Amino acid sequence: MSDIALEIDRLTSGYGQSMVLRDVSLKIQSGQVLAIVGKNGMGKTTLLKTIMGFLPAQSGRICMFGADVTGVQPHRLAGRGVAYSPQDQAIFPDFTVDENLRLGLSNDRGYERALDRVAVFFPFLAQRRGQRAGTLSGGEQKMLLVARALMSRPRLLLIDEITEGLQPSVVQRLIGVLRAELAAFDLSVLLIEQNVGFALSIADRYAVLARGEVVAAGRVDAPGVAGVIQNHLAV
Amino acid sequence: MINLLLDILTTAGILFIVSIGLLIVFGVQKIINFAHGAFLTIGGYVALLVTGAHFSPWLAPPVALLAGALIGAIVERVIVRPLYNRPLDAILATWGLSIVVVQLITIGFGRGVQFVTSPVSGAIHVFGADYSLYRLIFLGIAIVLGLAVGLLLRSTRLGLVARAVILNENLARSLGIDSDLVRFMTFVVGAGLASLAGALLTPLLSVDPTMGVTWLLNAFMLVMVSGTSLISLMLACVVLGGAQVVISTFGNPVLGGLTIVVLAAILLRLRPTGFARA
Amino acid sequence: MRSTVSLPSETRSSELIRLGCVCLAALGLVGIGPLCLGEYSVDILIRSFLFGAVAVTLDILWGYTGILSFGQSAFFAIGAYAGGLIFTHLGLTPLDAILAVGIGLIVASLLGALVGWLAFGYGVSDLYVSVATLVLCVVVVRILYAGGTFTGSSSGLSGFTTFDLSMPVWFALTGSFLVIVAALGWLLVHSDAGTLFVSIRENEQRARYFGLATGRIKIALFAAAAAIAALAGFGYASYTDVVAPDLANFKFGTAIVIWVALGGRATLLGPAIAAVLIDFISAYLSGSLPFIWELLVGVVFIAVIVVMPQGLGPGLARGVRSMLPLRSVAPSSAAQLSIASQPVITAQSDHGPSAIAVTALSRHYGSLRVLDDISFTAQAGELVSLVGPNGAGKTTLIRCISDGTERSGGDVAILGCSIGRLTPEYCARLGLGRKFQTPTVFEALTVAQSLRIARARIDPPSLWRRADTINLPQAALQVVQATGLAEQLANPVRSLSHGGKQALELAMVLAAEPRVLLLDEPTAGLTKAERRLIGGILVDLVARHRLCILLIEHDLDFVRQISSRIIVLHQGRIVLDGDVATVVGSELVRTIYAGEPQAIGAMT
Repeated sequence: MSDIALEIDRLTSGYGQSMVLRDVSLKIQSGQVLAIVGKNGMGKTTLLKTIMGFLPAQSGRICMFGADVTGVQPHRLAGRGVAYSPQDQAIFPDFTVDENLRLGLSNDRGYERALDRVAVFFPFLAQRRGQRAGTLSGGEQKMLLVARALMSRPRLLLIDEITEGLQPSVVQRLIGVLRAELAAFDLSVLLIEQNVGFALSIADRYAVLARGEVVAAGRVDAPGVAGVIQNHLAV
Repeated sequence: MINLLLDILTTAGILFIVSIGLLIVFGVQKIINFAHGAFLTIGGYVALLVTGAHFSPWLAPPVALLAGALIGAIVERVIVRPLYNRPLDAILATWGLSIVVVQLITIGFGRGVQFVTSPVSGAIHVFGADYSLYRLIFLGIAIVLGLAVGLLLRSTRLGLVARAVILNENLARSLGIDSDLVRFMTFVVGAGLASLAGALLTPLLSVDPTMGVTWLLNAFMLVMVSGTSLISLMLACVVLGGAQVVISTFGNPVLGGLTIVVLAAILLRLRPTGFARA
Repeated sequence: MRSTVSLPSETRSSELIRLGCVCLAALGLVGIGPLCLGEYSVDILIRSFLFGAVAVTLDILWGYTGILSFGQSAFFAIGAYAGGLIFTHLGLTPLDAILAVGIGLIVASLLGALVGWLAFGYGVSDLYVSVATLVLCVVVVRILYAGGTFTGSSSGLSGFTTFDLSMPVWFALTGSFLVIVAALGWLLVHSDAGTLFVSIRENEQRARYFGLATGRIKIALFAAAAAIAALAGFGYASYTDVVAPDLANFKFGTAIVIWVALGGRATLLGPAIAAVLIDFISAYLSGSLPFIWELLVGVVFIAVIVVMPQGLGPGLARGVRSMLPLRSVAPSSAAQLSIASQPVITAQSDHGPSAIAVTALSRHYGSLRVLDDISFTAQAGELVSLVGPNGAGKTTLIRCISDGTERSGGDVAILGCSIGRLTPEYCARLGLGRKFQTPTVFEALTVAQSLRIARARIDPPSLWRRADTINLPQAALQVVQATGLAEQLANPVRSLSHGGKQALELAMVLAAEPRVLLLDEPTAGLTKAERRLIGGILVDLVARHRLCILLIEHDLDFVRQISSRIIVLHQGRIVLDGDVATVVGSELVRTIYAGEPQAIGAMT
């Protein structure tokens, strides 16, 4: 068993002939959180889509838990313990809260138990199981999204811009939830963020993506990290 | 009056059974299966074979369902799957398939019109009128089938997964749903239901190699005005089927035969969402 | 002041000379054909030529414009029955013949326009026309059946007196008809109008936002194709002396589709040849192998659609070309760019009505409120930036301003005109230009052709000529030259980089000379130098040409440098509307972008 949750080796990817990512290499140790920061249009979402298998890698390799998953179909990754929380259209607004959460598991066995577990963090979910997800508030929808990702106790969690448009109180709550889950079981997280405050508060390492390349990376507890990131984002 | 009402209801039932397979395939695959009519024809000829071999006519519909599903499975793999990203070409290829099926049946069974024995015959007395027993049974089957499919979609894991693929295929895939498998299953079910409809129709109508085409057009228009909703399809069958019965009875039968396609074409122009909620 | 960007290109005249040679050779073949072929072959080919002409019309509809019609058979039948009915019931004076042709053409084109009106309305699915044409076939067949002795019902009409011409004359007539239809078709698809058809196939939405009434264009084209099919049908009835309801059948309609698919969509010659060949072989084989032959065609058709959607024709042509020492055909010509005479902008535009006036606008999807009670105005000479987190409703707002059918409530006025429920092309005609978030371009066209399409409303395209200059307003020309597009005028858009497509779309939008510009992330994917350049152009458009620009942008640096005003959108509402300093210093914005001190930092 490898202790590296995710390893990306010189990945190049994009749409058609235009390459959005160039030679990106990243590594996440098991149990750790890597935050990728960068402004919009720098290739962050493209990176996640390529990892998830929605976009083909032009070159390079993606490994999860020691196994090469380059080119593996998206739906097969869930079976390997990967949960993905996309940025847009991440829930089924026409489905009930219950139906959305059920889709977080590969079958209905153990649903109640998993629901009880995530409802500790988000009690409103257990109380409003029959409500249509589209009628939840923006913050509640994000919490539903995180809850669904945690239903299956994933080994690797890929989160795309979860804090976008969220109130600070909700962001704080999500920080608490992720910290609790990280402490409770063997979870590794790849976090795509514009919100540097949120990213730095739970990540172990960071990487800055600019124009499809990693321009800076390191530990978040190194001195002056905030300034380094600031500089890269301001360019 | 009772007779007219029963005509409307049973016609709606027939249309519903004929269209439901097409609706399911359209919902999940986002393509129109133009071979739907061919599967219906296959069902009709399966019924002809089953009754011709002196088995019980009641056996014909289930055998047709299986035969349609089996052929549907092959067609999905060979023709439909490569065209997932080319919906217009999928129309053409399935349309080409229906030509091939018609030719094969013509070669095998000849061009002529043939008749299938009905499992029941005669009329029964309902609400003070005599009415064809088979048409009433047909209506019952339509209601049961509608409820069964509705229940399957609403209350089972399979239904949840299928609806997830309908609404957002990429999200469904990222949640571990094998959307290709879901597409395959729905096509198989859709083809099976089309053949079932063909077999069920045979006691009412004659069988010939092109019997599927008129039904295809009606089913197609009904699905276009219903979007992907079963309830809308039921509504469309009752309203447009009702209009067809009324116009055929009180007006001109030629016009009556065109009612559904023409009304649906106009409806779609005025209200592109048709009977589906906006 | 003329810009001198030009490219070596095959000139139009050499193209025309080649077309002329091909036509003459074809006409020569038509002339000597009856001398070399047996009577049976000549008999069949006379008919096949007419089918070939119908296949050409379908190729223009489907291959070039993207309209998949199963109904050319119905129009063919209408022309045929116009002849059959008149000759049977009236007779064969020259007047009757003219009457028959006239009635056929008029009925077919009116019916074509009606089907087009049904099928090409705004928001109607692309599938709809295929459905509607199938329905049309069924309706026409039923009507012919119901016509009793007048139409001959199921057996049709036969034995009516028709033109007394010899077989070689018929052969020459129908052969020339095919050559003429194909040659006119060639001129059309190689004209600027032909480029317009391809742009509709490639991206109808983009074309609409240039103010092109694509629905009307498609209706006109559909009606014209119907008329030509009817003319072929009239020829068929006059020659064969038989008309039957089967002519209108979708089965024949499908056969035409098959010819085009097998011959190669959008090749014109391929469908014509495929139609003639397949019909000719069918006639020979259908006697000996009646059903097997149709089965075979069906199987080949499926295989071609699945495996080689471009058809057999192009593949064969490539093979032949590689065997013959033919010179390769020069790439389709690009054009010279020149500067359009800018309309003089009078100063009154500053004191006139607001460029954009939005009042109490709302948009909801079911119970989901994406925009709620949005009101603001923007004047000529203002560059207003729209900022806010993802999902705030920015793109939806742009959509509601540029498409009258989008909003759920409220009102939008552009330069004082309410957009009411106008569809995008008519909103664009009020002076709106819109650039989409992801580059929305015509992948199959060249850069030059794309720019020409963007100008099509101002410089209407010719139906048979190709303009060799494109008049561009200064701003568009600047973008084209500065981003290197000027060197790629003859390249297909497909080959451009992401940034190149962004720049092209911006240049196209500017080429349409809008007074109000809606730009959704115009610089995403561009290099820093290109961004600076585009920023400069935008500021210039506002300052000198008094345009009004509404811009969505994530690069807050960029926003700060070029905006005259910033509107902050959050969860579907305007939370702040003020000048740059006010918005940048606002505590509220800080809270919305909570935890994003760097974003605000970058702005201060």
